[in-house]
Amino acid sequence: MSEKINNIFRKFLIVAFSIVIAGTSSGYSNDTEIKADDTEGVVDFVHSLDDYVPAKNRYNFYFTYKIVHPWWDAVALGMEDAQKKYLDKGIVITYEYMAPDAASYEDQTKRLLEAQKGDYDVIGVDVADEEKISPVLDEMVAAGNKVMTFSSSDAATDCKRIAYVGNTHNYQDGADLTEALCKKLGYKGKVGILVGSNGAPCHEDRAKGAKDTIAKYKNMEIVAVEYDQDSIDMAYNLAKQMLGDNPDIAGFVCCNMSNPVGTARAVTELGSSAVIVGMDHDQEALHYLKDGVIYCLGVQDCYSIGFDTLQVAVKIADGNLPGDLFPDKTDESTTIIYQEDAELMLEVLYGDVTQ
Amino acid sequence: MKSRKITEKAVIITAAIGGVLILIMLIANTYWAYEQSIASTNQAVSAVSAFYLESMADRRAKTITNLINNNFDYMEKAVSVIDDEQIESQEELRAAIGRMKNLLSLSRFALVDEEDIVYTQYTTYTGRSRHPFLANKTLDGRMISTVFRYGSSKDLCLAIPIDIKIMGKQFKACFVQIDINDIVGLLAFDDQESTHFALYSENGGNISETELGQFIGTKNIFDATNGNVSEEEWNSFRDDFANGKKGTLTFTINDVVDTIFYEPVPDTGWELVVMIRESVIQDQFQEISKKSLTANRRQIIFILVVASLFSTLLFYMMRRIANDKLKEEKENSKVFKSMANTDSLTGVRNKHAYMETEAQLNSWIREGAVDKLALIVCDINGLKYVNDTQGHAAGDKLIKDACSLICNVFSHGSVYRTGGDEFVVLLSGKGYDTKDETIADFNRQVEENIKTNEPVVSIGYTTLQPNDEQVHDLFERADHMMYDRKKELKNMGAKTRES
Repeated sequence: MSEKINNIFRKFLIVAFSIVIAGTSSGYSNDTEIKADDTEGVVDFVHSLDDYVPAKNRYNFYFTYKIVHPWWDAVALGMEDAQKKYLDKGIVITYEYMAPDAASYEDQTKRLLEAQKGDYDVIGVDVADEEKISPVLDEMVAAGNKVMTFSSSDAATDCKRIAYVGNTHNYQDGADLTEALCKKLGYKGKVGILVGSNGAPCHEDRAKGAKDTIAKYKNMEIVAVEYDQDSIDMAYNLAKQMLGDNPDIAGFVCCNMSNPVGTARAVTELGSSAVIVGMDHDQEALHYLKDGVIYCLGVQDCYSIGFDTLQVAVKIADGNLPGDLFPDKTDESTTIIYQEDAELMLEVLYGDVTQ
Repeated sequence: MKSRKITEKAVIITAAIGGVLILIMLIANTYWAYEQSIASTNQAVSAVSAFYLESMADRRAKTITNLINNNFDYMEKAVSVIDDEQIESQEELRAAIGRMKNLLSLSRFALVDEEDIVYTQYTTYTGRSRHPFLANKTLDGRMISTVFRYGSSKDLCLAIPIDIKIMGKQFKACFVQIDINDIVGLLAFDDQESTHFALYSENGGNISETELGQFIGTKNIFDATNGNVSEEEWNSFRDDFANGKKGTLTFTINDVVDTIFYEPVPDTGWELVVMIRESVIQDQFQEISKKSLTANRRQIIFILVVASLFSTLLFYMMRRIANDKLKEEKENSKVFKSMANTDSLTGVRNKHAYMETEAQLNSWIREGAVDKLALIVCDINGLKYVNDTQGHAAGDKLIKDACSLICNVFSHGSVYRTGGDEFVVLLSGKGYDTKDETIADFNRQVEENIKTNEPVVSIGYTTLQPNDEQVHDLFERADHMMYDRKKELKNMGAKTRES
């Protein structure tokens, strides 16, 4: 009997052990297993060529502008964008894009006369001095050169240049900026005006727009109008001088890219509370805008100016004249931006707001 | 020491307490192992993350360094080739630049003359305001700078000083610009969203425009982390960037732990930052742990069920075994007891049995619990003679026959063989009540046996008297009487010891 029980017990032990091992193992067998902001209204970086089919597959241009300055570097980037897009279509465009270190109609005249000797399909000019350069352009056209104007300064209205691409509303830009300043100041107070280069149409037009606007308000007074020759250092010194002569200046109208930078430096250094309005997108100026030193800036769409200049140049090189293909004046926009827009513009234009 | 008897109940309670303790220990041990596993996993995640990130950052930084060095080498080769060519015009120069650019896969490749005029394959332009490195009159050596282009594009600008003359003009520098996006493409990080990387300027600005995780994104890394780590850690983090050092930073936002590793890219002023979301790894680990834990639970439950079944069956079987053994022992005991109290020759009780009965009766007599008791002493006549003349076998037969006679006649009594030829019969109850008739029948039978040479047994008898204190008192009286009877029977012709 007991032997039988021992056998049963032994068998049960083996079965139980097997079941436990199987059950334990089965546990281990289980699977143990992210602006595009509205900057388009200010600067348009997305361009494509129009439907025009160039007549040739090689072009060579010459462009000259007022002064070596970042503003025209932005225009150059737009040109390069267009050049690459033509290249993608198999059309090779080569060009020179040259300027002096200081704005000078003499230098510009010299460059233009030299360019006449070159084998250029089109010669483009950002007019340094409307009065002095326009006759030179007329002579060049008369000599058989295809001449256009671009960027911010066109030639005199009776000039025979073929077309113009750029800002066609400099007077209005000056008026708009000044209107913003007047409103900010409550339509009263003394105002200093800084201009760029003597005779530069864009600068002069803006200054005229500024003067006409201020003239509308009886409690506002222009205490000084100075030219910095597109030099920040000169702008700084002139602003300091204005503030020294008129400590109660309530505001400044800056008509070019260097004016607001130099003026902001002076206002900051002297602790003035003068309100500054100015032109363009200088990185330092945008920082001053961000910090509230500058009240507002008029930003021109340089990129589009460059892109469109090259497109129009190709059409002119092919013998086309203003009409259906392109207007006599291709207008580019200007947008007034304020403190709240500064950070975004810094990021969009310079990539690093903290740089 | 006095030992206490271990009862079955005590064994069951001990087994139950032991079982519960083992169960608690098993569960506690499993829970402890789980906690240890989680802690170890977290440590492992941190260690693995740091190691993984450092390794990843190091490889990527080297990739950029190699790219930079290669481009420097290519530029030097390209300038050497161009210098060897007899270039007479701007067109030829542009063509040469284009060939070198394509041949060496250089990005924007350009030469700069001493008036800071930049010559590229398609354009010639005044570049002082556009290229910051041209701010200096001359270049002292290799120069690396980051160019923030209008339109948010960023380039890495590599420039070297050169000293060659082309078209009568002295050239002072040569440079390439590499689009940061091309560099980002080279770094080829995984797309599993568990690791991220970005290139930063020393002031924390994102150069590569790659998102460093969901929280930091493309924001300035200092602004993004400020307030999420201690001020000391944050300041140290900034110092490392400013001084081109590497390091790690861990921060927790919305219960999500992120770890970043930053490594300077030599000579660029950049910091390459890689980030791993520890929670991604932790989630994976925890998922594995949970599954493992669930499996462990199932195993424990399974083991418990099996162990319970096994224990129950074992308990049942042991109980059965014990009962069987007990039963067997009882039977053995009974046999042994029977063997100890039985006379092997006649099958009646022996003297040992008589002595046990005597002791019990003495006790009852002392207690006055017995009132009817008769004792008969029997002695076989002529046994010695038979043994001597006919052998012991005949003697044994005589004993058995005599015993049969006694048992047959005193069928209501207890018969004991107390000696070789002596028997004692105890009568109580019905045997006691019929003693006189029975004794008379016995004596008559014996007397007839004398004639037929059958067994002759002399008996003496007595009953319990009030003065009797023990059985022996009865035995003495009966024994005297038996001797008297023996003489009487002798006279009737019965055999004696001698004849």
